[in-house]
Amino acid sequence: MRTLVTLIWTVSLAAQPVRNPRTSPDDIALGAKTFRSHCAPCHGMHAEGGRGPNLASGRFYHGSSDANLLTNITEGIPGTEMPALFYMEDRVWQIIAYIRSRNAAAERPAGDVARGAALFRSKGCTGCHRVGGVGGSLGPDLTQVGTMRSVEHLRQSIVDPSADVQPRYWVARFKDDSGKPVEGFVMNEDTYSVQLMDMNQQLHSYEKAALQDYKVEKVSKMPSYKDLLTGEPLNDLVAYLASLRPE
Amino acid sequence: MRIQRFAFTCLAAICSAVLVYGQVTYERLLNAGKEPGNWMTYSGSYPSWRYSILDQITRQTASRLKVEWVYQMPTPLMVETTPLVVDGIMYLTEPPSNVVALDAATGRQYWRYRRELPNRINVCCGQVNRGVAILGNRIFVGTVDAHLVALDAKTGAVLWDVRVADHTTGHSITVAPLVVKDMVICGISGGEYGVRGFLDAYDVATGKRRWRFWTIPEPGQPGGETWPGDAWKTGGAPTWTTGSFDAEQNLIIWGTGNPSPDWNGDSRHGDNLYSDSAIALDADTGKLKWYFQFVPHDVHDWDATQVPVLVDGEWRGQPRKLIYWAHRNGFYYVLDREKGTFLFGTPFAKQTWAKGLDSAGHPIRLPNIDPSPEGTYIWPGVQGATNWYSPSYNPLTKLFYLSVWENRSVYHKGEQAYSPGNRYIGSVPLIDLPEDPGHGAVRALNPQTGERVWNYDLHTKPWAGVLSTAGQLVFGGSDEGHFFALDAETGREVWRQNLGGIIRANPVTYLVNGRQFVSIAAGSALFTFALAR
Repeated sequence: MRTLVTLIWTVSLAAQPVRNPRTSPDDIALGAKTFRSHCAPCHGMHAEGGRGPNLASGRFYHGSSDANLLTNITEGIPGTEMPALFYMEDRVWQIIAYIRSRNAAAERPAGDVARGAALFRSKGCTGCHRVGGVGGSLGPDLTQVGTMRSVEHLRQSIVDPSADVQPRYWVARFKDDSGKPVEGFVMNEDTYSVQLMDMNQQLHSYEKAALQDYKVEKVSKMPSYKDLLTGEPLNDLVAYLASLRPE
Repeated sequence: MRIQRFAFTCLAAICSAVLVYGQVTYERLLNAGKEPGNWMTYSGSYPSWRYSILDQITRQTASRLKVEWVYQMPTPLMVETTPLVVDGIMYLTEPPSNVVALDAATGRQYWRYRRELPNRINVCCGQVNRGVAILGNRIFVGTVDAHLVALDAKTGAVLWDVRVADHTTGHSITVAPLVVKDMVICGISGGEYGVRGFLDAYDVATGKRRWRFWTIPEPGQPGGETWPGDAWKTGGAPTWTTGSFDAEQNLIIWGTGNPSPDWNGDSRHGDNLYSDSAIALDADTGKLKWYFQFVPHDVHDWDATQVPVLVDGEWRGQPRKLIYWAHRNGFYYVLDREKGTFLFGTPFAKQTWAKGLDSAGHPIRLPNIDPSPEGTYIWPGVQGATNWYSPSYNPLTKLFYLSVWENRSVYHKGEQAYSPGNRYIGSVPLIDLPEDPGHGAVRALNPQTGERVWNYDLHTKPWAGVLSTAGQLVFGGSDEGHFFALDAETGREVWRQNLGGIIRANPVTYLVNGRQFVSIAAGSALFTFALAR
């Protein structure tokens, strides 16, 4: 009987979510200070995202609970650019308190999600972008883009796609050893070779020594929708993209 | 010539056989350069040339290099080890702080020392280790929980284990120790945690500390005036890359790291001695004989943790004891080794922070180069134009070889208060810029002029050191996982192999049973090459 009680007590303890012990206004202010010094270079001054994901949305790629955040900030996230922060737990809890304060204040886009989804299909976005396994693969998969990018970043990507191009979508242009012009997205590159996806979504690998006029352009292949989508339709499309936050 | 080489190989093989059960004496370490079958100190010899007189593998034969064996390490951590090889046995470290003894001809294991570590380890940049030192029948290793351990070279059994510093306050040891006489010289890491740096000497027999040189003087000591208030207590200046030994002058010459906090110098106005410096210590007492500070009041994290290359040569027509030093800040320096005086300096990579160096070697800083809240773009980047990975000097070509980064970072300035065990850095810079990732090279310099003799371009920035040999080869590696051999005179590539993992280590070469081997760590394995039979 004592064993059973102990077991139930242990299980119930284990099931309790970890709670942030540092959530006072002072903690949030101190967390903001640490965030601006140590996190903002990648995640933006207001956690809106940049090189690193948008942290203001309240949903996170690698777990949204306080316990997840504590682990990810303290230990870093293997396989990503997120380093370990090496702060004692109290300091990390303050950062989490600040992030949560941003979540509460996160910007809500004004547009209509359903109309935006229809625009996404009708304007040809699915030709290059995939959402939930449906669509093309030339452009970035947008299934979780609402967790990754701020509303403002999404808007900018539509009207000025070349403003922020991830290296994976840089375009290599050259003539191959037969003199044939080649163009493709750089999937990988080293001193001696380059691996590409061409515009027909075929994969190729080339020895660079055999190529002529090799150059890599850091501009987007996506056309600008600056003159095609304005006002309400643009807001709708942004709202749809911002809603792409699967649990 | 071929007959001479054959005779030399036979002699070296006989020596190796005779010495199989011999002990490593201080005399052998002093003359390590004359014992090419072995690699007995971190840089191959006390002057740290990372050069070998072995010449089986040459520009003509290197195309026949094949993998002889591979040793896989059961670790997800970064491998930065430089192996030692003594009398047919290889001693290398596995991260975080383990040691392995292998048969150097086959890669088969004799023993393995596994370090038990506390749960929380405070290291800035990975739980890494760069190698061991050896004397007698003892192997010495520093640990990331800031201990120094002596192991039995035959079994791996612990002979003594001393606490060098408190790991909970950010001290750790990643450096390969250096044996000098009957002492183990060992540095400390922790420049991102506000430690007060030092260099220690320990008795090889007992582990008792002989001396400690604090790299930050106290108030009232010479140099103490370069720190305001209590900033000296948390000022950094660690010693995390192995230095060199000038036996004739009895000087240990070692580089020191950045002042803390790294990117905000507001709490430490002044030159912050002896951060970012070359220091020369009396080997017996640990007393400072001279210093040269490369970057007074550094706010860019440009440690002087490069390997000092000691050369007795001519300088402007006169014989002189020299140090060749390519610094993380993008300048190549020549120093006088007797007094530490500056003789010459010039950029070896793109830099945008200094107009040049004055007659004393002090940088003439350009305006607006300090980190700022909005970010300041400066070449070189945070990881420098070069870093801890080793350079090489080849007495045949009289060239200085090194791995170079051509890149910039965005230096941010933030606020920072010290608290023990927490990072103390003053912001996080954008070290690598996705839109402008930079590139790398292996470069040969004329060490007398700093002029570039040749350049081997790399698409990415290398973390691998270089090794040069009497076979007129320079071995180097890349972040892309390629290990390559270059013509030491021209930089022409004569051989390369994709090892499939990032190379963050220094190559070594040695001889077993008359065959020359070359080893380098890549990914989480150590690869050893020899000419195909």
